[in-house]
Amino acid sequence: MSSLNKQVMAAPFKKCRDAVVKVWPLLPAMLYLVGFQIIVLVYLLALSFSSPRGNSTVPSCSSFALIMSDRRFREALFNTTLFTVAGTPLELIAGLVFAFLLYRSFILRNIIRSVFLIPLALPALVTAMMIYVLFDYPGGHVNHLLLGNYPPFPAIIGEPICWRASLLTALSLSLVGKVWRDMPISMLIILAGLNGIDPELLDAAKSMGASLRQRFFRVIVPLIIPSISVVVLLRSVEMWKEFIFPFVLAGRYRFLGTLIDFYYNETGNPHHAAAVAIIMVTCIVGTTLVLHKLLDVLKRYAAPL
Amino acid sequence: MKFFCSSAQRSPMAVSKRIIWMTGILLAMLIILGPIYLLVKYSISDGPSITTGGKPIPFWPLHPTLSVYGYLFSDRHFYAVLGNSVLIALMTVACSMLLGVPAAYILGRYKIPGRRIVLLGIISVRLFPDIASVIPIVEFFIFVGAHQTYMGVILSHTLLALPYVIFIGMGAFETIPHELEDQASVMGANRFQTFYSVLVPLAVPGLAAAAIYTFLLSWDEFIFAYFLTFGRQEMFTLTLYLNGLKYAEPQNLLAATSVCLSIPVIAFSMLVQRYMIAGISSGSIK
Repeated sequence: MSSLNKQVMAAPFKKCRDAVVKVWPLLPAMLYLVGFQIIVLVYLLALSFSSPRGNSTVPSCSSFALIMSDRRFREALFNTTLFTVAGTPLELIAGLVFAFLLYRSFILRNIIRSVFLIPLALPALVTAMMIYVLFDYPGGHVNHLLLGNYPPFPAIIGEPICWRASLLTALSLSLVGKVWRDMPISMLIILAGLNGIDPELLDAAKSMGASLRQRFFRVIVPLIIPSISVVVLLRSVEMWKEFIFPFVLAGRYRFLGTLIDFYYNETGNPHHAAAVAIIMVTCIVGTTLVLHKLLDVLKRYAAPL
Repeated sequence: MKFFCSSAQRSPMAVSKRIIWMTGILLAMLIILGPIYLLVKYSISDGPSITTGGKPIPFWPLHPTLSVYGYLFSDRHFYAVLGNSVLIALMTVACSMLLGVPAAYILGRYKIPGRRIVLLGIISVRLFPDIASVIPIVEFFIFVGAHQTYMGVILSHTLLALPYVIFIGMGAFETIPHELEDQASVMGANRFQTFYSVLVPLAVPGLAAAAIYTFLLSWDEFIFAYFLTFGRQEMFTLTLYLNGLKYAEPQNLLAATSVCLSIPVIAFSMLVQRYMIAGISSGSIK
């Protein structure tokens, strides 16, 4: 082989070697992340699509079939769906209200914004415990407040409520904790959208005779639709994933996250736990796609004139 | 208000709007600070201020006391738990920085082919629900013998923190002027020397933010610690210890532990904010 041929063949190799030399510091982190991602996917699929038989495991869909026929799974799916359907708009509304409060320029604005961000700095478990203590039965502050024990607040209930004893109240408790803690994220995203609105647009709308309500619904809302979309998408995903708040505040009522814990740690069945995890991921992907489509339609209809 | 009209008004309508807005601000402050105040109040409450026998719980303890904190800090088990949390968090910071800083350097300083795909791959780790990825990871750690070990928890926390370290670090390296690197090269420094002696010192504010963020992430992480140490109390971290106090009466111990868990997080969060601002300003050419 001539030296020219050798040089021609060696050129791509040299280029490749140079590229590796250039990026090698990136490789350990990439190997770590990609390696774990492969492990997660392979194990999740292998566990969920197999079932134990004797001393070995065999490929099977029986885990899915078994959990589908399990009342606990159906309840967990229902509870998590309800949690997501109720929690996503609540987070959006809380974010909108807090963002509108901060939108105005005023003295101490930065301090108040920092105060509004405090829930985000608290660990989720601490927030859950805080709600747990405040809504304690029978002597938590909330029960005393609703019983009218703190005048001038009127009595709303006659007997203290055991908040964790019924599905509706336990779910509400989890929602209170989740919305309280995550509100700053929604607030910041919407605030960023609000800050992007040109004040001249509002002046123009006002000078053209638009009322307060018209300016809000016809000018502001259409202009912050992208921010609203981001909040709705991100928060719905977070709602499906939630584990800590239902774990602490709604222990008796299972959600998909807490059902994974139940199957894995209490019944010792990783196959069922992995199958629930797969269904959870499918729900997240499905919800994201549906919401994406819906929000696209909304964007088209709500486009400012 | 600004979102309804951009110019300030002094009409009676504007005054009523202002009152509504101020009421809203006060109510919002109450919603945010009220529960935190009550949690702190519980932590300094004496027994009769919590167990009131049907009477309303006072908004300020009858006899404020730090005795619960005294009990907590005289408890050996609490120190063991605290030690576990600190050890795991510090080791997570070390592992994450060791892997993440060089990766952030490459992604922040070089235009490599497929950069967007690499970044998407890095962030995709955080898109997957923790509760869904914990089962495969626990099963894998059982397989390799790292289940119920500190190493297992540290490795899993590193997995969670690494994307953040890379992204925050990348931002820190991107802001450093390329001229500095060229000058170091002209003066005879090799690539490692330039990285170690020129770029890293300049990126320190941003990297410190990444390290603090990693520490906090590990400090208050619950799901992986719970699954990876399940049934091994001597390995419990502060979050697991707190979870164990859920049914303990009176709730002042629970509240005091919550406060102890939160103080470093709130304090460090403020530090991170400051470092992030410093990180941004350190990018300006001097």
